[in-house]
Amino acid sequence: MKHPPYHLRLNKAVDRLLLVDAIRRMDRLERLSDFTYYGLGGPYLDDFRLIYELFPEIKMVSIEEDEDTYKRQEFHLPCGTLRLERAQFKSFLARYEPNDEKSIFWLDYTGLGYGNFEDLMALLGKVSENSMVKITLRAEPRDFLDKQNETLGSGAESFRRQFGAVMPDSAATPPLGFRDFVCLLQDMVQVAAQKALPSAVPLMFQPVSSFYYSDVTGMFTLTGVVCRRDAAADIRKVFQDLHFRNLTWAKPTLINVPVLSTQERLHLQKFLPCPSSAGRTLHEALGYLIDKDKERTEARLKQYADFHRYYPYFMRAVP
Amino acid sequence: MGKNKQIQYEPVDASPVKSFFVTMLTRDIRLEEAILDLLDNCVDGILRSKKRNGGKKPYEGFKAEIEFKKDSFMISDNCGGIPWSLHSYAFRMGRASDRPADTPGTVGVYGIGMKRALFKMGRDCLISTQNEEHRYDVEIKPEWIDDEKTWEIPVTAARRSMNEDGTTIVIGNLYPGIAARFSVDAKEFESELRRTVSTHYAFIIDKGFEVIINNKAVAPRPVSLIFATGDRKAKRIRPFIFKSRTDDGVDVFLAVGFTRPMPTEEEIATEQEEVRYSSIDAGWTVLCNDRAVLYCDRSELTGWGEAGVPRYHTQFIGISGIVEFRCDDASKLPTTTTKRGIDAASPLYLQIRNKMREGMGIFIDYTNKWKGRVEEAKKHIEGERAIPFDEVKAKAGKLSFRSTTRTVPKGDQYKPELPLPKKLEPRKRRISFVKDVEDVECVAEYLFDGRDADPSSVGERCFDLILKEARR
Repeated sequence: MKHPPYHLRLNKAVDRLLLVDAIRRMDRLERLSDFTYYGLGGPYLDDFRLIYELFPEIKMVSIEEDEDTYKRQEFHLPCGTLRLERAQFKSFLARYEPNDEKSIFWLDYTGLGYGNFEDLMALLGKVSENSMVKITLRAEPRDFLDKQNETLGSGAESFRRQFGAVMPDSAATPPLGFRDFVCLLQDMVQVAAQKALPSAVPLMFQPVSSFYYSDVTGMFTLTGVVCRRDAAADIRKVFQDLHFRNLTWAKPTLINVPVLSTQERLHLQKFLPCPSSAGRTLHEALGYLIDKDKERTEARLKQYADFHRYYPYFMRAVP
Repeated sequence: MGKNKQIQYEPVDASPVKSFFVTMLTRDIRLEEAILDLLDNCVDGILRSKKRNGGKKPYEGFKAEIEFKKDSFMISDNCGGIPWSLHSYAFRMGRASDRPADTPGTVGVYGIGMKRALFKMGRDCLISTQNEEHRYDVEIKPEWIDDEKTWEIPVTAARRSMNEDGTTIVIGNLYPGIAARFSVDAKEFESELRRTVSTHYAFIIDKGFEVIINNKAVAPRPVSLIFATGDRKAKRIRPFIFKSRTDDGVDVFLAVGFTRPMPTEEEIATEQEEVRYSSIDAGWTVLCNDRAVLYCDRSELTGWGEAGVPRYHTQFIGISGIVEFRCDDASKLPTTTTKRGIDAASPLYLQIRNKMREGMGIFIDYTNKWKGRVEEAKKHIEGERAIPFDEVKAKAGKLSFRSTTRTVPKGDQYKPELPLPKKLEPRKRRISFVKDVEDVECVAEYLFDGRDADPSSVGERCFDLILKEARR
């Protein structure tokens, strides 16, 4: 199976570190040693590597269906405590019995299908309270473009047929713009969450953060905590100091960090954090454009200022 | 007690208990359906209205606006209001026998819909209505609900006048479960309500009625059928159509056909592993006086899985049918009290269901005959358009119908002649096999320089190449 170089994707790497930030706060709710992290880590198991590095007390289980990817995972095993399971996620979910165990799930999908929402709904109905669930979905409106006439005609119909049950308006045409499309996806996740945990049950899905980014392919991701309804305010308090929190299903935040050299980053370091006009300050500090024009350059540098703490270092290594 | 002493029995009390209406009857209906009942009243109002249009858009200019919040529900319409002449009937629990005959085409039969909807949601309700010179408010308070003896509800002159004749209902003091659906579950509830309205009211919205939920209009999702144009005698994809008028005045129009091309084998296989479509148009939609009482049903209720018809399966994903019952007297329509279900014991419906099976059988047979040759079958649909039910009815006028006077039900029917696959010559054999998708893509890239080549073309090309080599 061919895989894109997930480990070299900047925005995805930022998102991964933002998850770490959220997991760190779960310590305020429960002991991290009581958690098990479940992920669909792909061949390189980057998320597991990170979790092990920062939270060695968290137990880890990777779920992978493809035989060769599974073999590559065995090859890349970052630690001896990670349990690799070769299973289809659906069958894993059918067997998953948390009892009182706390879980952190990352449904890290590369595509977008109704089955993803079904998985999410099934999972939300199964995890024990104070478990964290993160879902990542492909967000490419062009997937639903009618290739023949470049309109959303039959593509829109196909979208409605696939996702009607979780769309806020099942008769609507999906938007063409990236930002509007990810907002629709977030609404769909919210509808699915409310279907899985309706007001009649004591548990609910409290969102914590939501982002969208594009490392060639557009992606949307949302993290939340399954908690008791009467404890939702406490959960919100736990994440109140999370920099990029989204506790109210507000619009997701864009991650679009620029590619900067290590030298540039070290140069900018002394100007950070930057409380106001970050884009302009960093642009002045660099003294040149890093994108098409001033406006875009400052927007990208503002992104850098926002996410610099989560920005990974990719180094050339000599084997 | 002495042997000879006669026990005196007193008459038993069989009077209705208010709580039965308020807390019991409301359990029979989903919240979304209760709101549809309120919309039904709006449409019945249009039918009574003198402003009603003729032609294809009889409901144009009429609208209902729905708004819900944590603490209230409101529906407001401009559909003519409740005539003062109906005040003694409209608010009664049940339909009084002396109620004047209704306007043709309305669906209110049992006199329960509006009240059940109000009691389903909350304990405070204000109904303000304006019909011609009459403008009045009817207010239901919690004290009235709790008082088992009082059945009269006070009527007062309306506090506010309206721009147009119509009715506004505001419900407050919501039950906790309802308030939670309007707030905690608001996103999901609005999605579900929109979906229900866009399907069950598709035909009415298509005819001009506007339903607005939380300031956004609902777009209809009518069921459409492929109806080939061109040479009417040629074997093309057209629906089976049956129409009839019963002795007691119920008009029936039935059409069943394809709404999309047949699914590929891959699509069928994938669907078994995971649900790919969350909403599909396959199955039967039943309309009673324009309202959909069933939408895309695929159960025994509509003839699937009995009397020679197989159970619904993904291979029949393209088969869709619509039956329309229309009658001036709504009590003759085969619906349940919720108006969102079929009275399965209705003799009329049972007869029509035989025709539904007959029509469905033609397309099931077609699907079976083309099984494994989907790409060929698709060619018969390419370029053809699926048209909404009203257009099907209009186009049906140009088809040649045959009368079925000796069968039950009597009527006229059009049986399409569908294109049939050529029989494989005896010297030919079909080869079909399943391979891993990665492997198929790998071979496709090797043979066609692209991974998305059609799997059957990949297989055929492989065979041709080996054949060429074998013959050397």
